[in-house]
Formats: sequence, C-alpha cells, structure tokens
Amino acid sequence: MAIVLRVVTERCNGCGNCEMACAFVHAQGTRPAQPRIQVLGRHASPGPGTPVLCLQCDEPACLEVCPSQALSRDETTGAIRLNEARCIRCRSCVAACPFGNVAWDAARHVVVKCDLCGGDPQCARFCPTGALLSSRTGILTCP
Amino acid sequence: MPTLRVDGVRVTVPAGATVLAAARAAGAEIPTLCHHEGLEPWGGCRLCLVEISKPGWTGEGKIVTSCNYPAEDGLVVRTSGERVVATRRVVVDLLLARCPGTPLVQRLAREHGIEEASYEVNPEPTDCVLCGLCTRACDRMGVSAIASVSRGASRAIAPPFNQPPPDCIGCLACAEVCPTGHIAWSEADGRRTIWGRVFEMQRCEGCGRPHLTAAQAGWARARGAAEQDLRLCDACKREQLARTLRAVSRGETVAAQAAAS
Repeated sequence: MAIVLRVVTERCNGCGNCEMACAFVHAQGTRPAQPRIQVLGRHASPGPGTPVLCLQCDEPACLEVCPSQALSRDETTGAIRLNEARCIRCRSCVAACPFGNVAWDAARHVVVKCDLCGGDPQCARFCPTGALLSSRTGILTCP
Repeated sequence: MPTLRVDGVRVTVPAGATVLAAARAAGAEIPTLCHHEGLEPWGGCRLCLVEISKPGWTGEGKIVTSCNYPAEDGLVVRTSGERVVATRRVVVDLLLARCPGTPLVQRLAREHGIEEASYEVNPEPTDCVLCGLCTRACDRMGVSAIASVSRGASRAIAPPFNQPPPDCIGCLACAEVCPTGHIAWSEADGRRTIWGRVFEMQRCEGCGRPHLTAAQAGWARARGAAEQDLRLCDACKREQLARTLRAVSRGETVAAQAAAS
C-alpha cells in the first residue's frame, strides 16, 4: 500500500519543523540538504503557514519529460523517486512540474524532490500540530 | 542471472548487466571517467579496464573495458592484478600529459602513483578529458548539438563547424555532466550563453526571473509538458499551490480560486 501524506493546511502553525526534519534527513555528511518541503504563506489566511510538497501525481509530468529515466515510481511507497546517478541535470522536470515541487539545488548541482523518506516521512513525524499526517494504510483519520 | 567471480568474490547480477556493475556489486573499486548510469556505455576513457578469463581459457586473460563488457556466466574478473594496474597507469599517464593542470586528472594520477607525466606534456593544456559525457547527454536529450571533431591529438568536442550550434536548446546538461567543469556558460540580463550561442531567456510570469530558454520550453512542450506549467518558475508555482491549498481549506472550490487568480 502506498504511503499517503496528508496536508491539513489550517493546522499549520508555521514552525518550520518539517523543513528542518527534511533538511537533516536528506543531509549529505554534515551539511543539511535543501528541504523538499516548504512552508509558504506565513502571513496569509487561514493559519500562519501552508506546507507545500510533492503530490506524487498519478500521471507525473516530471517523469514524463525525463530523458534518462532518472525518475521512477517506487512501488512500495508510491513516491516518484529520483535516481541521482541516472540524472543528466537537464532540469526538464523542474520546468514541467505543474506545482513547482521539483527543485534545483544550485549548491550541490542536483535535482531535489520529496521521496517520502522511503516510507516514513520525517516531516510528518516532527510536525507538532498534525498539519502533516502520514499513513501506510491509505486510511487517514484526523486525531 | 549470470554468476561471475570478481577478485575471488562470487556475484550474481541481473541479465544484461555489465562487468563494471558486477564488479562494483562485488565491492571492487574501479575508476571511471566516461561512465554515467543514465547514458549509453561508451568505453572511451579506458580507466575501467579489467582482466577477464573463462574456465578453459589458457594463457593470459583478456584486458577489456568493464563498462561495456556484458557480465557472462562463469566469467573470472580481476580488477587489480599487476597487468590491469600497469595498463590503467598508462591511460592515466597519457591523460595527465593531455590535461596537466586539471585537478580531477591530477587526483587520478596521484591515486595511481604518478607524479609527473612520462609523456610529452600537451603544449596547449586543456581541461577536456574527452570522456564524451557532454555529447552523450546531448544525444540523450535528442538534441545532438555537439560532437567529437577531428582525430588524434587535435580531437575535441565542438559544435558543427565551430559555429554557434543551431540545434542547441541551452539546457546546460552538457556543462552539468562535465566532470572537469570545462564547458563554460554564462547568464546575465536574461540571456544565457553557451557554445557561443546566445539564448533569450523566458521570464517567469510571476516574479520576472529568467528561468529557462524558449528552446528549452519548446523541447519540454514537445515531450508533453503543459504550456501553462512552463510560464512560471518553480518558486512561483509553489506559491500558486499554497494559495490553492489555502483556498480549499477556506472551503472555496478549486474552480472558484482559479477564477479569482
């Protein structure tokens, strides 16, 4: 069963724990990575923040345009995963994603996108308000 | 599923795998310059040389490039025997003579115990190691704007007739895959320059930042990307998604939100 990661926008308090957890879990050595999740709209209504991250589309535009088959669906988690070794860095996926959730890390010269942490999304684990909820069963309840 | 023996380690790999993949799976360290998992194996840099033999073969084994040699059942591979190391050393030595000032080549030379090139040093040092990653990345894009030109010592990578390449889309994949950073490009005032060609950048309709060339957008459209998705940069598309998520949580429909923006 694919992992379902639900965003409950009105619960977000804008703390940024999710960004931090993401940056550390994807860190290379001692350098935190560019987070795959971003809290936007900290001064908009409603709530102090809106987390945005990859929607793992059913028909992913990123995967569609990739010329080197660097992106593929992880059958266990359902995430669209990037194989960095196969990527030729043309950044077509960055241009094609309708939601801007595939980004270019200019420091490391790699494309970055959410991989659902291999099945245990750390952003959801460190979210203190339940704005990010992950489920392995596909059934989500709002506690 | 062929089973091989690499430096005495038995390893089974999927059918169609290369000796390089099998050797790396067995824990062997093999240097490569022209190998890229997303591109066709080429065997151009000659660094991944290994010695192979099969049961029944007599005499010395055969030196082959492991990156494009198929992993066959029963193959015996030696990755660091005397003959392999000596042959590989010649390759690195020649490379150092060609690119004496290139940090990546200097590092390779140090790793192979070479302090100075034994051959006449290139009077016109270059950072291009002729690994062909750039041309193969460009081919993989289906663009093929650059190629290897001339032969022997004057071989180089260049666009046709050394003119700004008409087929180039300015995606920079060639520059990004280049292991030595030899391929120069620049970006200023909404213009990107590479291989002598100047591209007018398409500006993000949200923030005005130049984010891709018009030719790149055309390439992405031809591969199924939607026109409206290429109008905004990734940061502005995320902002748009955040606005949509907020509208939905306020109880508005996505259609109403789209009409408002």
